[in-house]
Amino acid sequence: MTGVGGSPEAEGAAVGAAAPVLAFRAWRPLSFRRFNWRGLWTVYYGYGLFRFLRFGLETLAGPLVSSMLFLLVFVVGQRSLGEMLPGVGLKEFIAPGVALYALAYTAFQNSAAMIVLDKMEGTIADVQMAPLSALEVIAGFVLSAATCGLMSGALVALGTAVFVDYSYFDVTFVLGFAVLAALLFALLGTIAGLWAERWDHYGAVEGFLIVPLGLLSGTFFSVERLPEAFRDWIYFNPVFYAVDGFRAGFIGQAETSLALGAGLLAALNLTLAVLAWRLFAAGYKIRP
Amino acid sequence: MEHQTLSLGGTRVRHMGRVNWRGLWTLYMKEVRRFLNVFTQTLLAPMVTTLLFLAIFTLALGGGGRVVGGVPFATFLAPGLIMMAMVQNAFANTSSSLVIAKVQGNIVDVLMPPLSPAELTLGMAGGGVTRGIMVGLAVGLGMWIFVPVTIHNPLFILFHGVMASLMLSLLGMIGGIWSEKFDHIAAVTNFVITPFSFLSGTFYSIQRLPETWQIVAHFNPFFYMIDGFRYGFIGHADGNLTLGIVVMAGVNLFLWFVTYRMFATGYRLKP
Repeated sequence: MTGVGGSPEAEGAAVGAAAPVLAFRAWRPLSFRRFNWRGLWTVYYGYGLFRFLRFGLETLAGPLVSSMLFLLVFVVGQRSLGEMLPGVGLKEFIAPGVALYALAYTAFQNSAAMIVLDKMEGTIADVQMAPLSALEVIAGFVLSAATCGLMSGALVALGTAVFVDYSYFDVTFVLGFAVLAALLFALLGTIAGLWAERWDHYGAVEGFLIVPLGLLSGTFFSVERLPEAFRDWIYFNPVFYAVDGFRAGFIGQAETSLALGAGLLAALNLTLAVLAWRLFAAGYKIRP
Repeated sequence: MEHQTLSLGGTRVRHMGRVNWRGLWTLYMKEVRRFLNVFTQTLLAPMVTTLLFLAIFTLALGGGGRVVGGVPFATFLAPGLIMMAMVQNAFANTSSSLVIAKVQGNIVDVLMPPLSPAELTLGMAGGGVTRGIMVGLAVGLGMWIFVPVTIHNPLFILFHGVMASLMLSLLGMIGGIWSEKFDHIAAVTNFVITPFSFLSGTFYSIQRLPETWQIVAHFNPFFYMIDGFRYGFIGHADGNLTLGIVVMAGVNLFLWFVTYRMFATGYRLKP
């Protein structure tokens, strides 16, 4: 065991001595120390982000075009329709939501589609065989998908700024809730990708979970517009808090407590992160 | 076309008349089974998404008993949304079928059998139209639960439903034959099909647009299909109905000819 690593000076050798013969992790070159930063970077950039950017036209311009069309349709439909919240027009209300929706959708799509594609083609083994712990792989997947989402969201937000006047802008809320939402959907995508065995499983998660969560989150309407019976239900949608907090950074008003929303999203993200990490570590549906 | 009868170890070559009906049927059923196999993704998911669209647009834009074209906003919106779901799925069916077959290399399974270009066009377009109609029925039934859907003239609904599905099936085939990779067809969907269908007057009456944009909108064939289809439901049209029928028939004939020539010449299909 020690022969592979070279010199027996670092901790790898000590772990290797106690581990069974086929413990691949003990074969790491000794320079890795406790955390394989370069491996994490490779998963993050080479495996996730680069694949996304290689198709720059569709992955970034596609959501931009459809989001702008969405906004355009609302603007044309608006005219004499008044305000969504006191002092906030329909356009100003919807534009941040459209940007967050693009962000969330891109983050989900990237992590989930990437994992499903690799599972279908068998190339997921490339990641499993690499000297990376489950935590490092999952961190790479989730962070790269979240970055893709943030890029898409930023682009859409910039695009909408052409039509919409954002006189108020609070970078803390905008960035904070954008990151929380991107992580949430990247984690959901990772778990969905691990669970899905075929493309139609992925399609089912997208069609029956992600799109409803995103569209019924108050992206396009304020809570007061909802019929009485559904008002309480929206508070069970975590995306509602993300949209609300994100929009508060643009218009300066929120429909619910921002601290509560941030805390809730952080707790949810942590839970999902632990779940995704344990699923990957256990080899759920990826190890024969 | 006369074939000589060959004897190949006891099997006989099948004779075909002018049209290879069995081959056509086989191709058609292949296309239909392909989407029915994953019906949650191809029928149920579009239905859910379209109903959600109806909900959010009605909540966001339909406040205060708003009336468009003489009917409540939700009733105005419903036919347009049904049509959007139909055309998007008709397009997705033929384009994905061709692109997947091309990328995986099993396009030869479609090109090798004794099917003429016209039969190929008809069989594939038939699959797309079938999916469009089925999605339209599913979405329509779903909406009927929530929105009062009236039927003014079923002939207009049928004509424009079939013509629109056919048009997008043909466009999907043209796009699918042209595409060499998945991102090519994704670009066609994002930059051609989505803008045309969003800006077609689904979500607003075209009369709300500024003067110049009204004229531009009349050059969008998607406008005529949604306008005529909606007329079949609510009995109110923004444009000229006869012109709409002529435009739809003309565009379909033209697209049919283009697709036929693509199959006949083997453009990006045969080496």
